[in-house]
Amino acid sequence: MSNSHDHDHKAAPMVDEVSDFEALEVAVRELCIEKGLFTQADHNEWTEYMHTLGPTPAARLVAKAWLDEDYKQLCIDDPVKASLEVGINWITSMPSNFGTPSDYCNPRILVDTPTLKHVVVCTLCSCYPRPILGQSPEWYRTPNYRRRMVRWPRQVLSEFGLQLPEDVEIRVADSNQKTRYVVMPVRPEGTDGWTEDQLAEIVTRDCLIGVAMPRADRKADDKRPVIPAIHPYGH
Amino acid sequence: MTKSIPLLEKIGKEGRVWSDLCEQYGVENPDPPWRVFLESTCEVLNEGSCVLPSLERRDEEDELVDELYKHIPHPERQVLALAHSMILRGIITEEDLEKHLKTVTERLNAA
Repeated sequence: MSNSHDHDHKAAPMVDEVSDFEALEVAVRELCIEKGLFTQADHNEWTEYMHTLGPTPAARLVAKAWLDEDYKQLCIDDPVKASLEVGINWITSMPSNFGTPSDYCNPRILVDTPTLKHVVVCTLCSCYPRPILGQSPEWYRTPNYRRRMVRWPRQVLSEFGLQLPEDVEIRVADSNQKTRYVVMPVRPEGTDGWTEDQLAEIVTRDCLIGVAMPRADRKADDKRPVIPAIHPYGH
Repeated sequence: MTKSIPLLEKIGKEGRVWSDLCEQYGVENPDPPWRVFLESTCEVLNEGSCVLPSLERRDEEDELVDELYKHIPHPERQVLALAHSMILRGIITEEDLEKHLKTVTERLNAA
């Protein structure tokens, strides 16, 4: 008998097992709801926010600024206002729409130049410009990154594959509860005549944190290439 | 020295972490699907109810990981640390959690 769910394509593999950690996450969440600490609706709102917000708004902000000097100046002078033009309201958007609008309200755009490179860290915990950049990557919250970036930025950046010449100054911005930073990298060569949409595609999350530089040949959603080993094991 | 919590210690020892499951099932997703729910729980505990401010929770997570959950990867260590912090503050009790965990496990594993 044929299975009515059979398709021509092969389904992607799935983990078919509930781990103790997954059950623990559910149990903790449900106990919080049972105790009235938050509602399922509050939780859903957050989850949907985190799932749907990608780095696009910040990438678009950078792309717009690359094309429009006045907008670039606005990004420097008034990042809250500049963010509105890419659909992000730091004051009323998640996650700062609770209580007083004091958190996350002081975004700063750090403009790179050919001789100045900015990079963002949170030495205390994992503060990150989420309203405009989405969820922080896992490595951003590791003690390794947090502790070492402020002390040896050139070395840590080189571990990300970003080798900067000695004459490029590196400035590390330490985020906090109120002030969140986004890096505006230098527009790369090979992008003359590009549209805002084209430019936004190459401004990846890592470029906006400052640990990478945009390249004309790499888009944020490109499939990463598999590079064969030069000296494969066993050969 | 932070006191261990037997229930969480047991989960840390016996629970299967995402990388093991990925290897067994041939899955390549970097994060378990429940990670986003965990992040949301942490956020609403901070923003909505102010029960567990983010900075306090993250500081404590670092300490708990150093002392008790070093061998466990993220985000598994994050959920253990969150549960640990909540038990330490009396927001939930170990007994409540153990009981509810049993119910949840049965429910999630129901055919």
